[in-house]
Amino acid sequence: MKKLHALLSAGFLSCLAAGPALASGFPVSVESCGRTVTFDRAPTRAISHDLNMSEMMFALGLQDHMAGLTGITGWYKMTESFKAAMGTLPELAPKTPNVEALLSVNPDFFFAGWNYGMKPGGPVTPDTLGTFGIPVYELTESCIHLDKNRPRVSMDTMYTDVLNIGKIFGRGEQAQALVDGWRERIDAVKAARVGGLAPRVFLYDSGEEKPFTAGKFAMPTAMIEAAGGRNVMDDVETSWGRVNWETVADRNPEFIILVDYQNETHWQDLWSFLEGHPAMSVTDAVKNKRYLRLKYAEITPGPANIEAVEKLAAALKGASG
Amino acid sequence: MASGAGSVMGRFQYRRSYRLLLLVLAGLLLLSAGFAVTAGPVPIPMETAWKVALHKAFPDWIEMNWSQGRDRIIWDLRFPRVILGFLVGAGLSVVGSALQAATRNPLADPYLFGVSSGAALGAVAVIVHLGDFAGIYSLPIAAFLGALLSLALLLGLTQRQRTLAPERLVLAGVAVSFALMAGTNFLIFLGDQRAAHSVVFWMLGGLGLARWDQLWIPAAAVFGGIAWLYLQGHRMNALLMGEETAVSLGVDVNRFRISLFVVCALMAGVLVALTGAIGFVGLMVPHIVRMVVGGDNRRLLPACALIGGIFLVWVDVLARVTLAPQELPIGIITAALGSVFFMWMMRRGN
Repeated sequence: MKKLHALLSAGFLSCLAAGPALASGFPVSVESCGRTVTFDRAPTRAISHDLNMSEMMFALGLQDHMAGLTGITGWYKMTESFKAAMGTLPELAPKTPNVEALLSVNPDFFFAGWNYGMKPGGPVTPDTLGTFGIPVYELTESCIHLDKNRPRVSMDTMYTDVLNIGKIFGRGEQAQALVDGWRERIDAVKAARVGGLAPRVFLYDSGEEKPFTAGKFAMPTAMIEAAGGRNVMDDVETSWGRVNWETVADRNPEFIILVDYQNETHWQDLWSFLEGHPAMSVTDAVKNKRYLRLKYAEITPGPANIEAVEKLAAALKGASG
Repeated sequence: MASGAGSVMGRFQYRRSYRLLLLVLAGLLLLSAGFAVTAGPVPIPMETAWKVALHKAFPDWIEMNWSQGRDRIIWDLRFPRVILGFLVGAGLSVVGSALQAATRNPLADPYLFGVSSGAALGAVAVIVHLGDFAGIYSLPIAAFLGALLSLALLLGLTQRQRTLAPERLVLAGVAVSFALMAGTNFLIFLGDQRAAHSVVFWMLGGLGLARWDQLWIPAAAVFGGIAWLYLQGHRMNALLMGEETAVSLGVDVNRFRISLFVVCALMAGVLVALTGAIGFVGLMVPHIVRMVVGGDNRRLLPACALIGGIFLVWVDVLARVTLAPQELPIGIITAALGSVFFMWMMRRGN
């Protein structure tokens, strides 16, 4: 903590001294879940956790600055393109890493999130890694687990992370160009939208007794809105959580997103469960067989969100007609 | 166990007043169920809720002026759920009081014997490794087999002893419970996020899986079990008076204990397989009922069934409406109420 604090104030002072002329140069400061984290130079031995955050790093071509990944193969199968982007980078832990696994590669940066590799009060947090001088940047979507007063999710929630990672690695312009391109694509989706009411969409991740879904602070709510729909569970004051079938059925979704955990049968099981459920089977979405499979990396904040929004918008067009 | 409640007991000493109590409880049960189907995260007017039921019974009398979705919510989700709530509350309470008699231990509870850990192990094994082997019945069947496994282990552990001492039974139950819990947690560790999510259900319970076409299973288990236990009421009373007394009254103590135990485990296994582990009900309800009707098992069991059933119907209403549209696992509420109840008992004991 002390070291981090010294780092912070040093960074702050040098910022003042250098003035705005060197704004894109180092040291840079970014906000991470309400903390200010300062970097004197770009990390060279970074570790990223989970598919979505690693894909953000890859989108900026940061493989040369990385020492490894965590939390990929323990839960999902890698796609070919992910494997190609990963190259020879080692996976330090297939699931949630421990401090030792991280320290083993002598890292100088960790990119993870709350309930994405870190747990409040757990062994791996910005505090515990701070004692080893390893700065942490936290996934913005996940800050809700620390602070309940966060703004509602939007596409900017994901853009912010890419822009901040760009800044941290001295690739601010590249990140800005990437985000500008994404904004254009999302604007194009919006422009192509036909008027009328936003279709009611429900995201079904898992769970039979109670469904596990995305609430007000989870990325899919922003994606559904960008695609022209409305998440029927967008009033649930959580990011990811359990709701009950009665409410979902009563809100009568017209379209359902099934989370595809890449084991081929999961999404089929979800769909046949919905078709067999007494109340869900009479919703518009199930009656009209309107659904879309999206992969885990597509519904968690990351570059894959953009194409997923385009896919969803195309699929929703049929649903609203 | 019922000492100190004598004065209250005295009021219901007579058969007639006991029958009156059962009648009042049955009335309360109907009222509670009637209210419970109108309560839920989706606000549906009480009138509509009852019209739906009447429409099902007499389709010609009442015109259907509500959506098909609401019809399904009331008739296919809430009605079976309330009935399942009653069955689970009644079953667990009766199992609790029978186990308390069998072990002469006032803290005996279906979950003290590893039934829930066994059920969770079976369910998680299916989710993580085995996959569906019997369609929608895969999880309940696996959970039930897991509960039976806990029973088999328990009987195996206690079989060697000549006499089945109650303390050994309790200790063996705790040991089995921990062993199976370790197995479950290991499988969760190996598995993906879905395994971790679903284990919340098996550990804390919920009535959301109630369906009309499955209700006959817990109904048969609960009513069959209660009937059998009721017929053994006098033998349970003898057991409570002490082993020597029981033997002198012609009860084969060991055999009787084992059969009591098997019946209780079967009942609890079926319930856990459908609703996950709902703790403290089997522990708390028999204590309350004993204060009112006394320790005679033939009076205790029917009253336990009714009060336990009413209790769980109301707890489920709380679980559904407290955080709507999210749903609280029901076991959180029963555990909270159970702990408050025991603190109150301890203060009262002092």
